[in-house]
Amino acid sequence: MGIGSTETVADHATDGPPVTSQDVAGRSPTKIALDRLRQDKIAMACLAIVIFFALIAIFAPLLTSLFGVALEQGDPGDDLDAFNFPVIGPPDNGFTWDAPLGLEPETGNDLLADWFYGARTSLLVATIAAVIATFVGIVVGLVAGFSRGAMDKVITFVIDVFLSLPFILVALSVAPIIVQRFSAQPALLESAQLFALIAVLSLFTWMTLARLIRGEVLSLREREFVQAARVIGVPTRSILFKELLPNLIAPIVVSISLGLPAFVAAEAGLSYLGIGVVGRPSWGQTVNSGVEYFNSYPLYLYAPVIGITVLVIALNLLGDAVRDAFDPNTRR
Amino acid sequence: MNLTPVESSNQPRKGGNTDMRLKKPAVALAAAALMTLAACGGGSGGGNGSGGTDPEAGEDPTFQEGGAAGGGKDPEREAPAPIPEGAQEGGTVSVLTAVAPTTLDPTRAYYTDSTAIMSDLVTRALTQYVYDPETNDMVLIPDMATDLGRPNEDNTEWTFTLREGLKYENGDDVVAEDIAYAIKRSFAIAELPDGPTYQTTFFLDGDKYKGPFKSDAEYRGVEVDGQDITIKMARPFTDMDYYASFPAFTGIPEEADNPETYGNMPLATGPYKFADYKPGSSLSLVKNEEWDPDTDPGRIQMVDGWEFEFAQDTAKLENIILNDNGSAQTTITYDNATPSTFRAMQEEKDRLVTGSSPCTFMWYMDMTKITEREVREAIGWAYPYENAWKAGGEIVGITREGGSTILPPGTNGRKEFDPLGDHGGTTTDPAKSLELLEQAGYKDGEYEIKFLFASDDPLSVQAKDEIVTGLEEGGFKATPIASTIETIRDDRTDYESPINVRSSGWCSDWPTGGSWFPAQWDGELVGVEGMPNPANFDEAYADKEQDRILDTLTPEEAAPAWGELDEMIMTETYPAVITGYSGTAFIHGSALGGVENDNVRGMPTFGQMFITE
Repeated sequence: MGIGSTETVADHATDGPPVTSQDVAGRSPTKIALDRLRQDKIAMACLAIVIFFALIAIFAPLLTSLFGVALEQGDPGDDLDAFNFPVIGPPDNGFTWDAPLGLEPETGNDLLADWFYGARTSLLVATIAAVIATFVGIVVGLVAGFSRGAMDKVITFVIDVFLSLPFILVALSVAPIIVQRFSAQPALLESAQLFALIAVLSLFTWMTLARLIRGEVLSLREREFVQAARVIGVPTRSILFKELLPNLIAPIVVSISLGLPAFVAAEAGLSYLGIGVVGRPSWGQTVNSGVEYFNSYPLYLYAPVIGITVLVIALNLLGDAVRDAFDPNTRR
Repeated sequence: MNLTPVESSNQPRKGGNTDMRLKKPAVALAAAALMTLAACGGGSGGGNGSGGTDPEAGEDPTFQEGGAAGGGKDPEREAPAPIPEGAQEGGTVSVLTAVAPTTLDPTRAYYTDSTAIMSDLVTRALTQYVYDPETNDMVLIPDMATDLGRPNEDNTEWTFTLREGLKYENGDDVVAEDIAYAIKRSFAIAELPDGPTYQTTFFLDGDKYKGPFKSDAEYRGVEVDGQDITIKMARPFTDMDYYASFPAFTGIPEEADNPETYGNMPLATGPYKFADYKPGSSLSLVKNEEWDPDTDPGRIQMVDGWEFEFAQDTAKLENIILNDNGSAQTTITYDNATPSTFRAMQEEKDRLVTGSSPCTFMWYMDMTKITEREVREAIGWAYPYENAWKAGGEIVGITREGGSTILPPGTNGRKEFDPLGDHGGTTTDPAKSLELLEQAGYKDGEYEIKFLFASDDPLSVQAKDEIVTGLEEGGFKATPIASTIETIRDDRTDYESPINVRSSGWCSDWPTGGSWFPAQWDGELVGVEGMPNPANFDEAYADKEQDRILDTLTPEEAAPAWGELDEMIMTETYPAVITGYSGTAFIHGSALGGVENDNVRGMPTFGQMFITE
């Protein structure tokens, strides 16, 4: 019969010792998960690091002026020697507060300012792309899972199509198209490239979440509380967002937290390949131009590499911890 | 020839340097394209007497001012070429480069790299260039011909006499008919594109004859009589002796020819022959036993073989040569050193070769759009020469040197002058620019300059930023138009492009103005497909003077006349901002000897290299 579970609860209530409700009451699964997360020292350390980078990104302009550097074009004629190396700061002249990370060879741009703004670009792109990908993934997954028949088939097919698109190939071909389309409007081109990058990144990541959600919804929609809601005539929209969505918090949070580091790395990687953002500082670009100075000016390369590595590791570990905390199957 | 689409990308180093993996093919391609254009031989000259490459000079190598540009010809040079002191027999030289020649077909060889490899090592032509240590300059000497050719009185007929005892790698004799066939073959531009094309302009029936593959009709422009080859011209051609040094003027037996495959295994007449060639990736050369030093006044055959590796990563190849371990000691690259490698090499200057190469970079101002002379001069004052060069990855004074004449240093008959007065080719003076703009009636920030850059080339972007700053300080409104490495060449040569300035350049094919002005500054070229005249420069006085020089003057009179025309164009009209002359700076292993800069091509002197102990 379909009333098994209520029976069990009833049995407990009658047979077992009276349940004291003070501890259990009011603790939602999310709250339980957060409590578990809070006790995870690694997760907390990683969170601190992520917040640190987020603050750098948000307050980049303030920080640059605090350090007395500026995100402005250097003056190669005055700032660089005959070999296009900076005349102040590392690698040749020791530390100076005028340029704590030194100046970029060939252009004389300040590397610390570039680094601060690079963090901004990284996190901006990663966050927006993660939010878009998650949103699209949730909506598509919910709709596909809840609608039966043709609709589900069509959506599943679309997901499969997107999954089969080669990411790098599309990214490579979109870049020149954007450049050509906006070639005559330099200001517009910069934002167009940024949006194109975000679009490409989110375009290729929503499918996994959509599939995951669809699978969850498929099993959830046969559960009693959904059946009950349908029987009493709750509108589909409410069922989707009021009944199903709260049960999907865990996979969604996990998806975001694991997606972020992937986006940070992808942004840097695409910039390195020359198909990312142009016209604004980015760690990937700095790595790209710093490679050839690895022997003579390692700091040039190390700063963005360390930035990317630390941020990605922190985000990844945090993501793992979040998944562990939200997954009822893990016990620690 | 034409060159570099992007301000910054003139160097092959861009090829491998900034980019790895994915971008590589595209970039290598782009860099190769640059080479093409930068290709053409030309421009002897550039010699510097002393200093530059000489480690004992004890000072920073500086750009070589054009010195002994006396045309550098020695029709009397005797075979065999002397064996240099300290040269050892044996060993293999490795050549690493970030770029790759698109073809090694002798008829199509017009890139600096392909002409140098083929001319110096594999395919002999009628004439050749050799390095002269006394003047640090290249000298034109006979090769397969016994002299530098004998023109008739009005330069409309040139006769070359072939040496006795010339053989192909398979032991067959090289006969005059083979040279004649190679000349006819060079007209087959449809089958064999990208090669030099002066024959279509100057040779008899050059505009009609389409090569031996298209028509069975006998070509009337070349006649063979025993060992004599006579080339007939449609109009006087004073520079035929230089032109005859191109690999297109080698011997190709008609029965061995297949235009599609001949370039993969061309028959060697020089000291080395193809052993294995993988287009785009590698080439190995081994000794050609049939080559007889007694017939060749220019080349030696000391090493056993050559291993060329194309499309290598710049950072990697520079590191190999920099560390100089094991086989790296016999390794060389012909790519320009990156600034950081160039600096690291300052302690071992004997492994660093610097010198000039015969190219001039220019900002061609569209004469149909920028009509006021004051505005053009204002751009000349506003352009941030040094800043743009540095941001573009150039080593100022080594790979790029300022100047104010169209003809680069070392060109025969070149005249020094300064069209802007006390400008010197490197002065950026925003105040003067503002003043000139005011004279022309424009307010600060009113006149818009639109130019191209490649948004996927970091060096191009960096240089663009500097140029924008410079122009804005000089009172212009600067609008950089984005393009990509792939498309910038097409965008630049498109008459409809929304730009009024074109950044490009030219390299001489030989060291006189004859390979410069008729190619880029002829009014008849305006409107021609491919935009050979990038400034849309159409002035009657210049056309008239060019016709006079080409049709009536002797070679001796023509050279200085081109120099005068250079001054006339620049001072009368100022159609282009000279954004510098190119230079070379390449590195090699410690066991290589005879490595000098071939300033005709901006390449190493492969033909005289050897391995020391």
